[in-house]
Amino acid sequence: MLNDVTFGQYYPAKSFVHAMDPRTKLLALIAFIVAIFIADTFYGMILCAVVLMATVIAARVPFGSVLRSVKGILFILILTSVLNLFFHGGEHPLTPPDSPITIYREAVVYTVFLLLRLFLLVMASAVLTLTTTPVRLTDGIESLLTPLKWIRFPVHELALIMSIALRFIPTLIDETNRIIAAQKARGADFESGNIFKRIKAVVPILIPLLISAFRRAEELGDAMDARCYSGSKNRTKYKKLRFGWRDLVGAIIFAALIAGVVLFNIYAAQIWPEIYEYIIIT
Amino acid sequence: MEENLKDAAIAVPQPAPAVGGENAAGVDKDDSAVVFDGVTFSYNDQPSPALNGITFSVKKGEFLAVIGHNGSGKSTLARLINGLLLPDKGKVTVFGLDTSEGKNPIEIRKRAGIVFQNPDNQMVASIIEDDVAFGPENIGVEREEIGRRIDWALGAVGMSAYRTGTPSRLSGGQKQRIAIAGVLAIKPDILILDESTAMLDPRGRREVMGVVSRLNREEGLTVILITHFMEEALLADRTIVLNRGEIVMQGTPAEIFLHSERLEAYNLSLPRIGRICKALQGAGIDVADCLTPEILAEEIKEAADCRGIEKREVHSVPPQRAESAHEWDIDVKNLTFTYSAKSPFASKALRGIDLHIDEGEFFGIIGHTGSGKSTLVQHLNALIKLPQAEKRYRAKKPKKGQPAPVLPQITVGPFNLADKKCNFVKLRESVGMVFQYPEYQLFAETVFADVAFGLKNFRKGISAEETEAAVRAAVEMVGLDYEEVKDKSPFDLSGGQKRRVAIAGVIVTRPHILILDEPAAGLDPLGKQEIMELLHKLHREWCSTVIVVSHDMDEIADNCTMAAVISEGAVADCALPRELFKKAEELTSLGLDIPLTAKACARLKELGIEIDTDFTCEDFAGKVISLFNGGDNA
Repeated sequence: MLNDVTFGQYYPAKSFVHAMDPRTKLLALIAFIVAIFIADTFYGMILCAVVLMATVIAARVPFGSVLRSVKGILFILILTSVLNLFFHGGEHPLTPPDSPITIYREAVVYTVFLLLRLFLLVMASAVLTLTTTPVRLTDGIESLLTPLKWIRFPVHELALIMSIALRFIPTLIDETNRIIAAQKARGADFESGNIFKRIKAVVPILIPLLISAFRRAEELGDAMDARCYSGSKNRTKYKKLRFGWRDLVGAIIFAALIAGVVLFNIYAAQIWPEIYEYIIIT
Repeated sequence: MEENLKDAAIAVPQPAPAVGGENAAGVDKDDSAVVFDGVTFSYNDQPSPALNGITFSVKKGEFLAVIGHNGSGKSTLARLINGLLLPDKGKVTVFGLDTSEGKNPIEIRKRAGIVFQNPDNQMVASIIEDDVAFGPENIGVEREEIGRRIDWALGAVGMSAYRTGTPSRLSGGQKQRIAIAGVLAIKPDILILDESTAMLDPRGRREVMGVVSRLNREEGLTVILITHFMEEALLADRTIVLNRGEIVMQGTPAEIFLHSERLEAYNLSLPRIGRICKALQGAGIDVADCLTPEILAEEIKEAADCRGIEKREVHSVPPQRAESAHEWDIDVKNLTFTYSAKSPFASKALRGIDLHIDEGEFFGIIGHTGSGKSTLVQHLNALIKLPQAEKRYRAKKPKKGQPAPVLPQITVGPFNLADKKCNFVKLRESVGMVFQYPEYQLFAETVFADVAFGLKNFRKGISAEETEAAVRAAVEMVGLDYEEVKDKSPFDLSGGQKRRVAIAGVIVTRPHILILDEPAAGLDPLGKQEIMELLHKLHREWCSTVIVVSHDMDEIADNCTMAAVISEGAVADCALPRELFKKAEELTSLGLDIPLTAKACARLKELGIEIDTDFTCEDFAGKVISLFNGGDNA
């Protein structure tokens, strides 16, 4: 069942993107999402796709693993595109006037746009998680949230909770596997029967797991106390994230991407006027 | 190197206070690190106090061991020292600071660090250096200084190479060394180990104890070691014995362990070598009290020389082994297994295991953590199925010119585990499996319901009377009072009772073969002994074959009729214990321990006396006695 000892989808490699600061990558992802949502011409979309391809190549992760990330939302993609295709209105019907369903040109353009957006969005997030360990990601989020301390948002506590959660995921997966094996050895059957039977079958796993999690939490609390933990007051931080030259390069590229998308939005009509109406969404 | 430490600790004669219940009064206050003055502490939900009128003190730089059975109050003691608990009566002072005063606990925790039992439950970060940094960060140490402290602390525990790694892939001993580094980075003056080695294998235990002794000697760290491993207490300068919340003995380890009768009264056992000493002395052989196998061997040699014993070899005829029915033999051929195959994290657990286990054996499987022994036994009841038994399996056509790959084969009695049509449910009913810390799998509201769980799964539609009879038999088999416990919640039982209930939940279906993974892990010496006695009773009366997976060599030597050594996913050796443990060097080269009796034999052989024994304490003592008696007759 849970036989994968690793979690998350970090792909270990030495690359330009792996070595970037997690904050840069998080901000770049945000910039990228902004770019694909403000782009309303295919020129801009293609520019986004090109930048993403370049990032994947620079990250040295297999292209397949990036594509695979789309698998999870495939159903949603198909559903939304079908709905959009049939129900998006427009002025230029493509189907003959007497057919029961009318599909408009605008709907097709819009659906393709939507698909591209979602594809690029998911793939870009995958590049982030493939090249950044969960720990670095947490560090990055903590650092980016630091300004919120001004409004008394518990940034340090949140970061510690995330860090402890990450730390205990593999431990609890191991534990779950052990409990499953132990109950299977006592004849428990988790794989057959109707949904109610299956839910009932989970009880012998869930209860020992909960009890163990509480026991661990209690022991961890004692261990943290014993190591002088007393909240965020007067606390120093050992790990400091540092921006490097790669982060500068990344920042320039993604700033340029947004600028490029905006320029395309403004000047698209003048580039190739004949096809203009086919490449914008309305 | 760590091996020598034990000897060194014993060899140095130490002036020490007399053994007895007296408190160590009159210690110079300025010289003490920790002082307990009439301390009493009770937990809210318990009628009798966990600690009752405890008075003692620990000097700076001292190495103190605190021993006691489970529930004697040892762990409460540790928590009182650094203010995690506060005394009901009396006073605990650490370097002159009273733990119950205002902000003292934080100051005290900077100076007295605790390492707990479970290494997994004391790490906060997924990267080792971040975890070590946690303590210094909490007390506001400057960034550059934290870096230096991480360097130093990881160096002190010999883990510098793992600085940027993750703890989840380390062995128990390595994790516990990281936990020690995490405490050291706060730069404490006192290091408290609260049963920190209880969950480790012998190698891990040696690693941790080596680090601790060195810190005590070289860094002058005061060490308070709480343990129920008598062998570890031998490393200390002074030992305190706790029984039911009271100090009942204190003195040097050597002094303590000479009072075997008293120790047994406190549910503690004498170290094995001490037991042999007593047996020899009882037979009139003039050996001095000693606690290590090497010194015992020398004592025996000396005594033999005194008596002018000529005959230097004692041979014995191995006892006839009962012919078994071979109906429930286990046969494993060419077993290989890889975890997370086809991922970048694939790890080979088994590399071609061939093993045959006859019906009727009390079989030991030895190997340290990560050797693949647990993976192996999980194949025996198809918790891990052979690839060709999986529903989706399709035989691959061999490539031209290459022989077809050899598939692993396992048969257990009448079951062929390579067969898709094998009745795996029936198999699991016949091959009972008790996992490590089985009490962690208890879940039901009552002991009755928990024990009956397996029975109801395997025998659908079993009648209420039959269930009741089977559950009663199983609960009584494990030595519990059925009427008393059946309606109790399993979570209200003591640790040892929980483990018994968990074992009852497996044997309730009367399996032919019973497999137990580290059945005695985490128990105190008496608990261990009781569990092993239970297994022998099961072997005699209920299960024809018992298979025990263990890393405790003495346990294997004392109990098993046959043993296999697993190393790096292959069978390194499989033989009678008496044959196996003769190969001391081979076992040590695999990073495994050998039984203490085997160590004594090896040393005796160097001294020119050969003893042919099956390496149980009783047999070893018996053979030495017969050597002397034979010598007398000659």
